[in-house]
This record gives sequence, C-alpha cells and structure tokens, in this order.
Amino acid sequence: MKGRTGTVKKKDSVFREIWKNKAVYMIMLPGIAWFVIFAYGPMSGLQLAFKEYSAKLGIWGSPWCGLENFTYVFRDPSFLRSVGTTLWINAGRLLFQFPVPILLALLFNELRLKRYKKVVQTVLTFPQFLSWVIVASIVINILSYDGLVNSIIAAFGGETINFMGSARMFQPLLYITEGWKSAGWGAIIYMAAISGIDVDQYEAADLDGASRLQKIFRITIPNILPTISVMFVLQMGNLMSGGFDQVFNLSNPAVKDVSEILDMYIYNISFGSTPDFGFSTAVSLFRSVVNCAFLVLADRGAKALGGSGLFA
Amino acid sequence: MNQDIAGKKRRIDGVDIFVFVVLTLWTLLIIVPFLNAVSISFATQKEYVDNPLMLFPSQPTFRSYEMLLNDYRIWTGFRTSFLIVLLGVPLNMLLTMVLAYGTSRGSYPGKKIIIGGILFTMLFNGGIIPLYLQMKEMGLTNHLWSVLLAGSVNVFYFVIMRSYFQSLPDSLIESARLDGAGEWRVLFHIILPLSKPIIATLTLFYLVDRWNEWYHALIFIRDSNLQPLQLVLRSIVMESSIVNNVTSAAAMENMQNFDMGVKMAAVIVTILPVMCIFPFLQKHFAQGVMVGAVKA
Repeated sequence: MKGRTGTVKKKDSVFREIWKNKAVYMIMLPGIAWFVIFAYGPMSGLQLAFKEYSAKLGIWGSPWCGLENFTYVFRDPSFLRSVGTTLWINAGRLLFQFPVPILLALLFNELRLKRYKKVVQTVLTFPQFLSWVIVASIVINILSYDGLVNSIIAAFGGETINFMGSARMFQPLLYITEGWKSAGWGAIIYMAAISGIDVDQYEAADLDGASRLQKIFRITIPNILPTISVMFVLQMGNLMSGGFDQVFNLSNPAVKDVSEILDMYIYNISFGSTPDFGFSTAVSLFRSVVNCAFLVLADRGAKALGGSGLFA
Repeated sequence: MNQDIAGKKRRIDGVDIFVFVVLTLWTLLIIVPFLNAVSISFATQKEYVDNPLMLFPSQPTFRSYEMLLNDYRIWTGFRTSFLIVLLGVPLNMLLTMVLAYGTSRGSYPGKKIIIGGILFTMLFNGGIIPLYLQMKEMGLTNHLWSVLLAGSVNVFYFVIMRSYFQSLPDSLIESARLDGAGEWRVLFHIILPLSKPIIATLTLFYLVDRWNEWYHALIFIRDSNLQPLQLVLRSIVMESSIVNNVTSAAAMENMQNFDMGVKMAAVIVTILPVMCIFPFLQKHFAQGVMVGAVKA
C-alpha cells in the first residue's frame, strides 16, 4: 500500500500503483458507482436549467435554450415572492431558533441534579427522531379547534384561536415546533463543547469570587464561541432552503401566502398539474448556487472574524 | 465562598430554581402532547367532546385501534416501511462501510479525488428534479428501489465512520496483510469487529432515517400499494382534518367512528417502533455527539 520507490518512471508508476491497489478500488466500487449514478448523475441533470425539456428526448437529448428559463424565472412574481418568504422565514430562524439549543445547553449545564438531568435530556432529545409527518400530526392535534390548547384557553374564558389557519401565527409556529422537535438534540453539540472547557478556568473564577452568571458570560459562552460559529456557518448554507419537511407538513391552503418558501414553490411547480422541468430546474439551480455561495461566504466571514469555519 | 471553592454542596440559589423551573416546564411541554395523543387514541368520542382536558381516559377503549387496523392502508404502510428498513439499512451500511474503509487508509492514485467527490455533494447537489427525471428515465419510479437508492449514503455518517476507521491501529491490519488477507477479509475480520460501537450507532441512525422516510416516496411513488407508513399517516391525518374543519363537535358525535381517535392511534402506531429503539440509540449518544456535530 505504501510502496513508493521513486526510481520508477512516473507514468509507469501510476499504473503500477493502480494495479497494485486494485483490491481497494474493487471494494469501493459499489459506493463509487452509487455516487456517480445517484449524486453526480442528477448534477449533470442540472443542464436542464439551460434546456427546454421534452420527455421524449430525455435530459441529454433536449434542445438547448440558453438563459431563457432564467429570464422567465426572474420575471415570475411567485418565484420572487417565494424567495422573499424564504429569506424572511430564515431571518426569523437565525434570530429566534438558532440561539435556542445554545440556551438549552447552558441551562443543562447549570442543572445540578444529575439524575433529573438525565431524564430531562432523554425527553428533550426524543422528538428529534420523529419525522415531521408525526410531529405535525401531534401539533395539529393539540392546536386544533377542540384540541388541548384551545380547550385550556376556553376553560379560562378566552376566545379560541385558529392556530393552523392563521397567517400571522405561521412563523412563530415554525420556530416553536422546530425548537420543540430538535433543540434537545441540537444542545448536545454545545454541551460537548462545554464539557471540554478547562475546569481550571472556573476554579480561578471562584477564587476571584465570580457569580454563576458571571462565569456563564465570561467563561462558558466565550469558550463555546467556536462551536457557535461553525453552527452559524452551517445555518447560512441553508439560507435558501428553510425546512421543506416542516413547512410542507405544517402548512395548509389557508396559510399559502406566508408558507410558500422556495422549496415549496419548486415542489408545487414540479409536481403540480403542468410541470415545466426546464423552468423548475433553473429555480432549483438558483437555490443550490445561492446556498453554496452563502455557506462559503459565511465560512470566510467567520474565519475573518477569528471564529472557526468548516474548511481547514 | 469557601464552600464554593471546595466544590462540595453549594446552597440552592436563584439560578438553580430558575433552571429547574424552565427545564421542568420544557419537559412537560414535550410530554403532554404525547400523553394527549395517547389518551385521545384510547378515549371514546363522547369523553373527548365532554372533557377535552382529560389526560387519562376514564373508560379506555381499543375502538380507535380496531378502526385503524381495519383500514387496509395501514397494513400496506407497515409492509412498505418494513421493506424499506429491511433492504435499505443493509444497503446504507454496506455502501457507507466500503467507502469509509477504502478512503480511511493507504495511499493510492485518486484517493483525494474520491474523498473530495464525496464531500462535495454536501456542498452542492442536483436537487430533486434531475433526480426525479433520472429515476423516471431509469424506470425506477413507482418501484421501491427509487426510494432505496435515493438516500443510500449519508455523507455525514460516512465522515464519522471514516474517522473511526482511521483511529484504528495500523499494525493489526499490516500483520493481517502479511498473513495474506485480502481487502474484504481485512474489512470483515479485522476492522468491523473493532468498530462495533460505530456500526451500532450508524445502523440505528440509518434505521430511524429509513423508518421516517416519506419525502422520496412522496415524489417517486404514486402507487397506493407502495406508500410507506409515514405517508399513510399523513393521508389519514390530513384527509379527516378537512372533515374536522367543517363539522361541528355536535355533528361529529353522531358520526360512527371517532376521527381524532383513529388519527392519534395512527400517530402512536407510527411512533412506537422509534420509541422501542430509542433506549439503544441513547446508549450511543457519545458517538451521537459527533453525528450531531456534523449533522445539525
């Protein structure tokens, strides 16, 4: 595996190396084949963004049409609206949803009852392993007209609220249900970061008479900043996505105006009545490129600010 | 102060009380919706309407479950989901393992290209439409294979398994090689027995992912006989919720089956398998931290 004599001519040695390692290639073959067909195959299918798709001619046979699809895309008001909705929802996610696992990890860290901590953690992690179909079903149940929440409101003499059908409620609903489902799981990574902090720092702070809050703000948070920064970069890579699974399962026609994020728009135009696959591929390509660009940009930015990025 | 330094018993202060209250409320916020679903699934229509705040039904009944199990869709759902798990998880593990193994050691031409090629798909991908059209051109739509092949390698899990394989000592493998063991032998007889924790972890994660599979099925599969349980659940919950919106509670009372009860029974039945493997999952949270690190 590591034979590199150096005296052999270069071209010759490459073939020899390949031949010598043929067993490694053979063992990886199923995996590589899968990546080529099902990951890079669709990537080559992105050419449809510049083509007029015809089912008869297939992806490769369809005629080129230049940037025509894109001019239509950028003139489509529902496309522009969905981009706006996506950005708006994601801004909210960064503001209201991103800090929740961090806060939860800090709370966990301050909980001194060991056994109770374990119970709480178990409960809070569990929903992560349920699909959005299940979570949405549970949410729809408790928020329905005669569900638990409205019954409580009614019991206190309040007026029942149509949670699922209200456009104003939709965004908070997204942030709250996301926190409900995945904050416990998300906190694990921050707790790992916290447990890696040197105990000496806390002991020194104790000697100086620091309060618990001071220790949280002066030691714990600064120490987990690198982790926060990595998570932030990852979040930025989803700027144009915005959680299809969640939105698809929680939305209904009544909240269409506020719930049609870009992914929903792509789904609707692709699998609706008269799909134009060239057009929807153009939208999809736009989405992927923006996501990728923002991930790289955020990564650069985080590094420039002295934080940690993804790529070494 | 002095007690603080000793790190022994500190007094309970405001922070403790605050943390305890917030976390307890949070826990209840998660448990109560589940309890509510369970109790509705066992309740009678009458009790649900009379006393919507009940957490435990006074006269538990299996009627909703009977109704649910009489629905043939739930059985197709179970069959499909079991098939997806049964065929999908071994496929996941095999493909992830061979790639993780092949890229974890040695040096050979093209190794960097292979690793880079795998990681690049995390950054950028073709999206669902080219994948759909390709599946269609390959004649895989409306076959279970489209779902099985759409999510066969999770790159995050690949990264985790690869770094685990890399952490194993070289000497064992070298000595096996000297004994004339081939790659498959090394993988199955040396590497895998040493990698039980990571194999267990990733198998469980893939298992949950496959069980929760609905997106690819939604797009690739139109045949109602091949709907996974998640989509069956979705149609059960969605279709009756439309009815729910137009009929008043009084009108619902006259209906024969208790819609909400059947819906929640469907939810519980779908959750149950996840609940059963959750304790095992939790055991592997140490590795899960790494999964979380790259997945979240």
